[in-house]
Amino acid sequence: MSDVGSDGQDPVRVMVVDDHPMWRDAVERDLQAAGFAVVAVAADGHQALARFPAARPQVVVLDLQIPGPNGVEVTRQVLQHDPGARVLILSASGEQDDVLEAVKAGATGYLVKSASVAELLDAVRRVARGDSVFTPGLAGLVLGEFRRLSEPAGDPSITGNPELTERETEVLKMVAKGMSYKQIAERLVLSHRTVQNHVQNTLRKLQMHNRVELTRYAIERGLDTDDD
Amino acid sequence: MLRAITLLNAIAINVVTRDDLVHPWGGAAILAAMAAWTAFVTWAYTDAVRRSIPLLLADAAVALAALTLTPLVKGPDFDGTVPGFWVMAALLAWAVRFRQWGGLGAAVVIVAADLWLRADITQTNLGNAYLLLIGGPIVGFLCGSLQEMAVQRDAAQQSAAAAAERARLARVVHDGVLQVLALVQRRGAELGGDAAELGRLAGEQEKRLRTLIRSQDALRDRVDNGVVDLADALARLRDRPHVDVAVPGGPVDLPAATATEVVAVVEACLDNVARHVGEDAPAWVLLEAFPDHVAVSVRDDGPGIPEGRLEEARAQGRLGVLESIQGRVRDLGGTAELTTGSFGTEWELSVPRSTHAPR
Repeated sequence: MSDVGSDGQDPVRVMVVDDHPMWRDAVERDLQAAGFAVVAVAADGHQALARFPAARPQVVVLDLQIPGPNGVEVTRQVLQHDPGARVLILSASGEQDDVLEAVKAGATGYLVKSASVAELLDAVRRVARGDSVFTPGLAGLVLGEFRRLSEPAGDPSITGNPELTERETEVLKMVAKGMSYKQIAERLVLSHRTVQNHVQNTLRKLQMHNRVELTRYAIERGLDTDDD
Repeated sequence: MLRAITLLNAIAINVVTRDDLVHPWGGAAILAAMAAWTAFVTWAYTDAVRRSIPLLLADAAVALAALTLTPLVKGPDFDGTVPGFWVMAALLAWAVRFRQWGGLGAAVVIVAADLWLRADITQTNLGNAYLLLIGGPIVGFLCGSLQEMAVQRDAAQQSAAAAAERARLARVVHDGVLQVLALVQRRGAELGGDAAELGRLAGEQEKRLRTLIRSQDALRDRVDNGVVDLADALARLRDRPHVDVAVPGGPVDLPAATATEVVAVVEACLDNVARHVGEDAPAWVLLEAFPDHVAVSVRDDGPGIPEGRLEEARAQGRLGVLESIQGRVRDLGGTAELTTGSFGTEWELSVPRSTHAPR
């Protein structure tokens, strides 16, 4: 994947989805000024889904609170259409449940709108590279979700509930405590890349579990053609 | 329905005791009239519009007529009246329509007529009369209560629907306001100067509003029963500058006293960060919920507590922060551990979720 600006490779193709025109323009302007190619903008879920296939963005910067199919649904459908695309959630209201749902649907980054321009640009770059962009808040949510799933109160018939390795839990906890990947790497005597991998693995496990859940739901509802 | 059953009862009793009838055809005529009235009135009462005072008066009059005709068909020395329990239906209709006073009035009239007709009054007659006098008002009272409850329930449903709609509208408004505040903050930081100050103010308000929204959400679907959502209570600490709070999704319920104390301890830790690391020093709070306990961590990026500093404070007989915090958590039945070093300082609090509330 290309990094922007520095090495003169193709700019990262970005799509901005936000129902607030001022915001959409500001984000678009900032991205363009930093050398990204904003290939499409959309004001609601319908527009986003309609314009996505033709624009083929690498990164979708997505507001969760949009009219039409909401951000979670857009995330799901966009990634179904192009699993190689990346979704960065940029949310104003910090709706906890929605953020968690979007991450389960496959979003790999989350940023609140109060983040600075530099933070946004950095997040888009990292998401485009395939990294996960966590805030401590999101890490806390994901950690809480794994804790919830591992509780015995959960459906005992479900085998293969996702479990984090001890290391993954440790790393995720440190992210939730506000430590940077660099600080974590130092504390645990790991490489930056390894920390990054652990973080990504946790998201991957959560998304995988979500897909399994959806499939299970489909089978229960008889939407599946298999005999068993 | 009751009327039909008591009618069958009256017919059956009169058939069995037909030997008592001085004028069997008269008795049959009364029963036939009762049957006809039962059919009519059952139909008439189904619609609220027809449940008028004249109909109820007529109902009572028919019941009284059936009663007073008894001596004529059965002779003056009768045991049971021709309509028997059937008169109860009219009485209940009055009770339903006019509450306890209607029930009492109808009962008095029917009982008076019944007793006046009898040549001699037995214990059983008095017992029945007594039951009618008691039953009428009670049924009336119950009907009144039921109707009041229905009215109250409707009102509650209405206000709940209104509140939900208000919350929905508020959400739309809040989202818009949050967007603008975030935008002002962002543009302000780019422009610098006075605009930067405006941006900073907008940022503070945005943070505050977001915290408020979360606490409103937590409030919405909860009845207070001495339980506090610790996740929500800790999230409010985001109001403090440079404090980031990470919590699981969904509520983390703890007894109110415990939750309040945990928040107070966390605040003490944060105060300590501000005092020793700096007013602008960032701090992070993480809440984790386990089935039997909660774990709260408070961390800073400061230089750590210098070695010997804590011992020194203790030697001087000052109740150090360490002891204060550990003591308060111990009172909750939990533990507080301190890690410090060049990487910063971190408190890890663990508090049981069961009611080990402080006295």
